[in-house]
Amino acid sequence: MKIHSSNTRKLALFNILVALCLAMQLTPRPPNVEFTSFFTFTVGVIFGVLYGSFFGCTIMFVNGFLSPYGFAGLIMPFQMVGMAIPGILGGVYRRLMPEQINSARFCTETAIVGAIIALIYDLVTNVGVVFYYVLSGTNIALAILTTIVCGVFFSIVHIFSNTAVFGILTLPSIKTLNNLVGGEKNG
Amino acid sequence: MVEKRTLIFLTLATLVWAISISNLAAYFYLQNTTYTKQIGENQQSLNKTASNYDELMSKYNILLSEYSVLYGSYSFPGANFTLLMGSLGRLIDNLKGNYSSLLTNQEDLNETYFMLKEDYQLVYPEGNVTGENFGGLLNEYYDLFNLLAIRELSLLLSETVTLTVNVCIDYGNGTIDWHNETRMPAGSSLFQLTQKIVEINYTYYPSMKPGHVLVDSINDKKAYTVGYSEGWSWIWYYWDGDEQDWNSGPVGCDAWMLKNGGICKWKFEHWSWP
Repeated sequence: MKIHSSNTRKLALFNILVALCLAMQLTPRPPNVEFTSFFTFTVGVIFGVLYGSFFGCTIMFVNGFLSPYGFAGLIMPFQMVGMAIPGILGGVYRRLMPEQINSARFCTETAIVGAIIALIYDLVTNVGVVFYYVLSGTNIALAILTTIVCGVFFSIVHIFSNTAVFGILTLPSIKTLNNLVGGEKNG
Repeated sequence: MVEKRTLIFLTLATLVWAISISNLAAYFYLQNTTYTKQIGENQQSLNKTASNYDELMSKYNILLSEYSVLYGSYSFPGANFTLLMGSLGRLIDNLKGNYSSLLTNQEDLNETYFMLKEDYQLVYPEGNVTGENFGGLLNEYYDLFNLLAIRELSLLLSETVTLTVNVCIDYGNGTIDWHNETRMPAGSSLFQLTQKIVEINYTYYPSMKPGHVLVDSINDKKAYTVGYSEGWSWIWYYWDGDEQDWNSGPVGCDAWMLKNGGICKWKFEHWSWP
């Protein structure tokens, strides 16, 4: 697949995606079922590593203050780093994408990437939670144990939901966005 | 031949699966270990409670038998009450010996014991002890003995059971302090709870029953009277869940035993008489 680009459309689309993603991120939803990593990954694929990681960081920064679950506090930097990773992976994936893609295979690949992204994000944010516990005076071993025990089910939910979201939505989204970005050049 | 790209994605998928399953297994293992430990501790605690209960009951039965013998002698026509006073004195001393820690730790019980001892000392030197005097002392002893037995059982229960109660302090000037989810050992009275959450001054009235304590001040807010017919006092209430209303305390606060989830209120309020 060939990725088109156009600065005007690119910028407009980027801003629209930021607004859309923020609206979805701030809307109350089941815990750990999220679309932000999918959007970040897609932005990474369409716009590249830099935009992708910036997109993820921005969303999580705003989310840290306005999230329906409350102020993120000390976890926010970890969330920003964790969400920059899908953007980076999107940019890397874009470089490795074949010219002609098989839909079923692409969906399977992106589903696996979605699961990996969820896992990495959870690991990074769990480090933040452990850090927070340790700063609060908890023993480090107990902090790690508590974080694993408390987070394991949320992590499983996250992995499954991301697998589904990435597997189903990435291909149509990338095709549509690519057409939008490349429209000026093609049209 | 499987191409490299497929292998990479297969490896990544396996990695996700392996980490997730390992986490889940670790989670269940930890939960299982925690629950097994808790069950073991609970069992141990139950065994200890059962053994302590047996001990308490044996003690209770012995003291009750001694009381029963004395009561039999007292009921027997033509009994010499002056002679029986010695046995009663030993019974009272025995009571202190058997419930010494309880009498030391619980102020109200200690005061009641002290009053009994004082009454005994008042009657004994008179020489000619009447049946009425002796009966009064015997009743006083029996009340205290039962109270001590109940408190000791409650204390035993409190080793395994903790109550959660809510208390409200209404200062009568618009200031209302809620002490929610206050944890107390089972068998605690409202007096003990109040002592725990606020600073109080109180007066002990030996003749008042049930419960001998009247709270004079809470956090330096003192009760006072204007002449003899009116004043401001600390009155306690409990929340009646069925009636959905506050009911004023029917007994002294030291006689009101707390229940789990119970709601009580201390209110500084005006009264007048008649």
